Amino acid sequence: MLRFDATKLIVSLAGDRAIVSNLGPTTDELWHVGHRDRNFYTYGSMGLCSSIALGMAVSTDEQVISLDGDGSLLMNMGTIATIGREQPQNLIVVVWDNEEWGQTGHQPSHTAKGTDLAKVAESCNIPRTATVSDLEELGTVFRTALEELGPWFIVAKIEEAGYMPVAPIEPELTIYRMRNSFME
Amino acid sequence: MNWAETIVQALKDWDTSLIAYVPDISIHQVTSLIEADPFFHLVSASREEEAIGIAVGGYAVGRNSAVFMQSSGFGNSVNALASLCIPARTPIPMFINLRGGPGEFNIAQVAMGRSTRPILDVLGLVHFTLEDEYKMDRIVDGALKLCHSNRQPVAICLTQLLHGGKLA
Repeated sequence: MLRFDATKLIVSLAGDRAIVSNLGPTTDELWHVGHRDRNFYTYGSMGLCSSIALGMAVSTDEQVISLDGDGSLLMNMGTIATIGREQPQNLIVVVWDNEEWGQTGHQPSHTAKGTDLAKVAESCNIPRTATVSDLEELGTVFRTALEELGPWFIVAKIEEAGYMPVAPIEPELTIYRMRNSFME
Repeated sequence: MNWAETIVQALKDWDTSLIAYVPDISIHQVTSLIEADPFFHLVSASREEEAIGIAVGGYAVGRNSAVFMQSSGFGNSVNALASLCIPARTPIPMFINLRGGPGEFNIAQVAMGRSTRPILDVLGLVHFTLEDEYKMDRIVDGALKLCHSNRQPVAICLTQLLHGGKLA
């Protein structure tokens, strides 16, 4: 499963729900699928993608989607425990797990060496977890997550592919558009 | 009002209802007031940079948010400020228990405590230091006003002289 195809699938099902994207290719590919005002692109603060989504989820009744990565979550695994503690029923975390730090030279990440992030989530009191490895499974699980209370934690195993051009994101405009869309 | 009640009032005056924090004994007096008050949602984070991310998320959907930490945790937060809050211009007030001042008993708290304000200066972030309650209501209210007008984090440093905090 390629991340770009999986991202297209998520966006096609997401409606106008807010999506927060992890830095690097996840943000680039979300932008290349097509800009939405409810995309929160990050391009720094590695590890904080799902923390941002958690802050959103406890502040709105709408569902919030985090598109995180294995390397980034490994940097801030505590946020999985905070999600388990807060139990936001409207939060769906999707982890693009390529089992490597792709952008820094394809070094294997801990998920290539035994770490199972879905089990980490389960042990942090997040009962709705799944691990998927193709688009059909991802679509089935994600549709269920949109219908049934979370928090959800979906590990999507992906293959690393070539990178798309860097998205021309503007952090101040990103948050301005997102905030306005919730305050209208 | 004492110093803790003054902070709670200022947060309410600025409609700041999402508070993310890492527990600290010296600011427990104020975070326990927040926890007991249904106006607020207090999120206990596992690390201070995570608290910053949570606060930014709240702000992104229209809810004013603030963070509480001690100066050692500020050290854990620098990249979140530099690569998220500053480029996105998010007005997140940071209430920091500033260690390393008069009466500090712990050698391990001195360097981070003493370097907190210089790091804020290098980042270009405004900070205020409170050593007593004199004019404190005006300083905290004014700090929150500046935070929002400048759309950048502001630090309000709370010292042992103010809160009487931890002394060995």
